Amino acid sequence: MINLLTVLFKKEVMDASRDKRSIMAGLYYAIGAPIGVCLLMSVLLQQLASPEALKINIENSDSAPGLIAHLNSRDIFASTDANERKDITLSISDDYQQKMSEGRPATVTLIADKSDDKLRKHINQVEKAIALYSSEIASLRLVSRGVDPSLMRAIVIEVHDQATPDSKGGMILGIVVLTLILALFYAAMNLAIDTSAGERERNSLSLLLSHPLHSLHIVLAKIGAITTFSMLGLMVILVVSKFSYAMVPWQQMGFSITITPAFMLFSIAICLPIALMSASLQVFVSFMAKSFKEAQSYVTMVLFIPMALSMITTYDIATDKVQWLPIAAQQFALMEFIKGNPIPIPQLLLSTVITLVLCVAFSFLSARMLKSEKVVFGL
Amino acid sequence: MIKVTNLNKKIGDVNALNGLSFTAQDGKITGLLGPNGAGKTTCLRTVFGLLKADSGNAEIDGIDVAKEPMVAKQKLGLFPDPCGLYERLTPREYITFFAQLSGLNASDAKQATIDVINKLAMNDIADRRCQGFSQGQRMKTALAQAVVHNPSNIILDEPTRGLDVMSTRILRELLLLLKAQGHCVLFSSHVMQEVAALCDHVVIMANGQVIAQGSVAELCEHAGKETLEEAFVALIGSDEGIAA
Repeated sequence: MINLLTVLFKKEVMDASRDKRSIMAGLYYAIGAPIGVCLLMSVLLQQLASPEALKINIENSDSAPGLIAHLNSRDIFASTDANERKDITLSISDDYQQKMSEGRPATVTLIADKSDDKLRKHINQVEKAIALYSSEIASLRLVSRGVDPSLMRAIVIEVHDQATPDSKGGMILGIVVLTLILALFYAAMNLAIDTSAGERERNSLSLLLSHPLHSLHIVLAKIGAITTFSMLGLMVILVVSKFSYAMVPWQQMGFSITITPAFMLFSIAICLPIALMSASLQVFVSFMAKSFKEAQSYVTMVLFIPMALSMITTYDIATDKVQWLPIAAQQFALMEFIKGNPIPIPQLLLSTVITLVLCVAFSFLSARMLKSEKVVFGL
Repeated sequence: MIKVTNLNKKIGDVNALNGLSFTAQDGKITGLLGPNGAGKTTCLRTVFGLLKADSGNAEIDGIDVAKEPMVAKQKLGLFPDPCGLYERLTPREYITFFAQLSGLNASDAKQATIDVINKLAMNDIADRRCQGFSQGQRMKTALAQAVVHNPSNIILDEPTRGLDVMSTRILRELLLLLKAQGHCVLFSSHVMQEVAALCDHVVIMANGQVIAQGSVAELCEHAGKETLEEAFVALIGSDEGIAA
């Protein structure tokens, strides 16, 4: 039996390795995805590094030179050009100077649309700057009256940030790990469809089944070959990630994503069961479809499930429950590994077992389907 | 020996096989002759265990295909229609692969492949990928696959379709050689000349059942006609599906 499996597996790998177009389709993803993420991050980091000066409309600015100077020091400037300034108006009341000199509250009016999501950040920025100026002036007034300004602060909050630099970029890290897991599904997707739905369409499946071998042998050989190519896709994306992420100036964000050899080995070990499950799932769905084209649509649709599981972890939704599920748990473990946190072993073990059970189930279901004449001849 | 007894098979609403019974003897070439849609391919697929008969059984050398498919299949070689080639493999790889699936070990399979490639005079294409092969080259590759493991029974589904004269002659010579070696050869066709020239025993079928069987001479005599073609038309009662 082992001998027969080897013969079938070798043929599958030989056949698949000559299918240049399918291999290239997998490689495009494995090479393109990390480079895409890097470009995105570089643009994002550039924006964070040099925040643009905020230009707003300030009415009656001559009345409050001190406030204006303070705003300028916080990158908020007055502008008369309606095109370049944000739609925020700060109106300084006419009696501002008088109220200030009398030590009474002076009024400034902030006019803006708070329902505008894009403006909200800028409105907050202006509000904070004014509040800070207000509290500085108030402190000075207390000092001039011989009162300790700290009386005004009943509680002082001291924050000890325990985040290590690496644990900060959770979301970005999630995206990076997501690209790795998706590689397992996408790298060999075309090969999976070609070797199952394609084989049937080319009439070689019925010839294969006419030979003295069990349908499970055929299915296992196909899953083995698809898994081999999935894992190759994973290795390519890991190597490309290692070099491309090294070029992103992470330091500006206060964390870094480094693909170490240890992480690469860890991901290969964690992802092998996922690759097996992905291969068996794709073979199963492809055999269920009646034609090559139908298989392409179904496989793409079915891949939304693992993608959703992976994304749930990336965006940290219902982590407590979801982290026990296959793929989500593996993704979580990979993220924790990069952050340098302890690996959630029970979750990882359980989800790996579930992943393997699913693989066995899909294999048997596919083998059973191959015994049905309706499936073999696409009736 | 291939023995089919009272096979019934319904595909959808169509009775593809309708109480089909015949026997193909060792050392003889048996032709399954019938118009398009007569149930020839369904019958052969049932013999191969790819389709399950609703009732009746098919035996290979006395082994019931439905009960012991693995043992029965080992005694069979199949030339399917369509050929079922792997476009990205070369004939040598393709033939060796199927030889190993049929139970030969790696070195025996390699040697058997070399032998069959020589026998079918296909050394010129043996190491080219099957993609872009002509119909004749495809036929030779599929035929080599069917006989490489030297099975006692060989089944061919429409082997002469689309072949030129030279390829047809090679096929004919090979079938005669297999017959001389004592193999049981069963092939389906709707080409009268081929059947008349080759077959020792002809089974004429239509609508999933046997209309008449016997040697070419017996059938002509039975129908009171000069040629097999005329006898065939007289026996099935229409001129449907006869290819020149």
